Amino acid sequence: MNKGGIGIGSGSGGGGGPTAAAAAAAAQKQKTLLQRVDNDIGNIVDNFSYLVNVSRVNDPPVRNSQEAFMMEMRAARMVQAADSLLKLVSELKQTAIFSSFASLNDHVEQRISEFNQQAEKTDRMLSRIGEEAAASLKELESHYYSSAPRTSQHTQP
Amino acid sequence: MDGNLKISLDKLPIKRLETIEEVGVERFPSDLGYDEKRVNLIRRIDFAWAVEREDPSKKQKKSSSSSAEAPTAPFPWQSMRENLHLAHQELSVIIDLINTVEANDAVTVAGMTRPKQLPNELLSDLAVSTATKLQCFWSLGKYFKQSAKALERQVAREARFYGALIRLQQNWKVKRQRMVASAPGNEGFYIDLFDNTLHDSAAISRPSAISTVRIEHDPAGMLAVNLPPNSCRSLQFAFLGAYLGDNPRQTSKMQTLYASEDPSKETKKEPKNDDECVKETHSVLREVHRAIFDEQVFDLVNCEAFNPSLGVNVTGIRENYLQLSIGQGASVSIVLVPSRRDNRTVDGAGTQNLEAAIVPLETLDGSTPIKNPGFPNRTSCEIYLEQIFHEQVLGKTKDGSTSARRTHLSNQPAKDGLSFLGHFCMSLAHRIFSTKVLNELENLVAGVPYVHLISQPTWHSRTSSWTLSVNIPQSILHSGRQTQYSGIRCIKDVKSQFRTKVVVNDDCINVVGEGAPNVVGLFKRSESICSMNRYDCDLADLPVILLQQIASQVIRWLHEEALMAGIKAKRDYLSLSFELDQGETLGLVAHVDPEDSEGCISWWLVMDDGFTDEHNIQVEISNGGSDTRKFLGYLSLDVLHSTLMDLVSFCNGGGSL
Repeated sequence: MNKGGIGIGSGSGGGGGPTAAAAAAAAQKQKTLLQRVDNDIGNIVDNFSYLVNVSRVNDPPVRNSQEAFMMEMRAARMVQAADSLLKLVSELKQTAIFSSFASLNDHVEQRISEFNQQAEKTDRMLSRIGEEAAASLKELESHYYSSAPRTSQHTQP
Repeated sequence: MDGNLKISLDKLPIKRLETIEEVGVERFPSDLGYDEKRVNLIRRIDFAWAVEREDPSKKQKKSSSSSAEAPTAPFPWQSMRENLHLAHQELSVIIDLINTVEANDAVTVAGMTRPKQLPNELLSDLAVSTATKLQCFWSLGKYFKQSAKALERQVAREARFYGALIRLQQNWKVKRQRMVASAPGNEGFYIDLFDNTLHDSAAISRPSAISTVRIEHDPAGMLAVNLPPNSCRSLQFAFLGAYLGDNPRQTSKMQTLYASEDPSKETKKEPKNDDECVKETHSVLREVHRAIFDEQVFDLVNCEAFNPSLGVNVTGIRENYLQLSIGQGASVSIVLVPSRRDNRTVDGAGTQNLEAAIVPLETLDGSTPIKNPGFPNRTSCEIYLEQIFHEQVLGKTKDGSTSARRTHLSNQPAKDGLSFLGHFCMSLAHRIFSTKVLNELENLVAGVPYVHLISQPTWHSRTSSWTLSVNIPQSILHSGRQTQYSGIRCIKDVKSQFRTKVVVNDDCINVVGEGAPNVVGLFKRSESICSMNRYDCDLADLPVILLQQIASQVIRWLHEEALMAGIKAKRDYLSLSFELDQGETLGLVAHVDPEDSEGCISWWLVMDDGFTDEHNIQVEISNGGSDTRKFLGYLSLDVLHSTLMDLVSFCNGGGSL
């Protein structure tokens, strides 16, 4: 699910990356999200202030019952607004996962270079091991052929 | 009601004349409507009795309060009881009224005035309202707390989940399914392990079933990757007829999966660190990645096995099993084996299955199977197979930047037109063959003390090379150098080493040696030609050819030494002869026999009067010598040199026997 390259953290100032249309879409999306945030927070604040205002006790008990129901409704609205904020946060995180190309590309490049280095290091190590093995073999062979068992065999008539 | 029953009488419902006018017009009262009649009836209900009850109760109260000061203590709840009685009566009246109204009798309430409340009633009403409101706020407070806790938990869960997902995304491709996830709490994330670069090569046509790994939530809300059991398979390579043994790569793969997916272990270490979770998930995904790679290798092997190619000969095929004959009397099997969690019960069955499928090659010949018949290490063959696949398939997609630094260890599979499987099989065949060649060389060198075997690594998988070196002892060299400058034209470079190189390419043996018996050299009889000859042979002839090569090198050296000593000698194939007086020749002849346990090169002294031919010489040699032939033994170079010097001095001394 690609959200069109919106990068909240990295901003839209990336060189020749997004086209004008994509940048406009990203700006629009950003505006929508901010509006949602504003709505939700405004919702919470309004409902809470109403709750506080309604704490006055009135004479007719009917009004109190009405207010009790109203208070429950406002509380539910507040919780719902909080929940929608949470969903917004989840959406932002998902956007970050699927659209934060800059940081992801950097990381991938870094890992590639790390792995290449490791591969080169392993190759060098293998070739060094091979060379050492060859040198050791040569040395061992020369030792063996100049060793006592061979030379004693050598002097046998 | 009380016992007194009051009766009221109604007039009969007949029309009665109300008035009559002088003119005689009668006026009757207007008819009452039904409603009006009912209203009148209701009006006639006398509530006085209820009111009277109230008043008398008040009077009684006053009187009782005035009189009850004295002896009896007033019942503390009396007033409340009375109030409740009154309330009960009023309620019953109202209920009757309501029942009447319900029976569709119209009621007109003339007016209702609420009695003025007493201050304590006002206050009690206020108190009740306040308490109710407070209760309401308390319940709201509880509701908010609950919601806050739930939201916090959800925030924490999401933070963990997305944190882990972002960390996974650093190394793996995270994707999302567009359709709505069926399970609650599952957002449809999955990890795609399919490698597009491999797919482009068109060699692999079958995308693996395990390349899509779903991301799920575990009961704690953390990210979890669940694999279906037995979904991962790994490549296993084996030589048929050889002991299977333990494959360390297999056990390590199994251990990783076993450790990460074992439910009993998970319950033991309770709250796992997030880092550990992510690490475990990484390793699980890595194992799946490896399993996919192994599957792709197997697919490619299958594809190439059925293209006609040199070195590849399919002798058996089953599901996930391929058997190839690679020559040199060896067969190999390449199998896709499930990486199972439970090594104990199932592994035995797996290996049994493999062993049942294997037909040991040796039993076909009737000989007993050898535990390790000189085959290369199974694990190294597996690694090699995967490595050349990796280089070939992935190397095509890159620019070749990796090939430059891999030339030291490169294998160049495609240069000779072979497929990668053909190259692999031929490499294995070459390894087996070169092991046999090495055995022969070692046996040979063991039989000739002054020959050294020097290994020369070629870093090529299908080429092997050794050098047999004959080293002239230092003592002879020093004495030789003293005579070098004695003035007579002689060979400037006194060689201290004679080398014969044996090169094996695939299964072709190529021998290159200096001073090799050469027809051209024989004709020219010039000492300055150092002929390098190269020729091919097969394994059976190799020992004889090498021994002849060595012996001829020794003869050549002896010849040079003789020349340096100032005597003319004639060099033949494996003999060096000196002319004596009267046309007789005294010769030193080499005899080679690879099967001789005491030594492979033996020396004979031959006296020739010019009339016997070589055939008779050979016959006499095989007969163990005669008067003209003397067996000298398996001489070392020192002894040969001193023998030569003795011969030289003998020849110089006039040849008297």
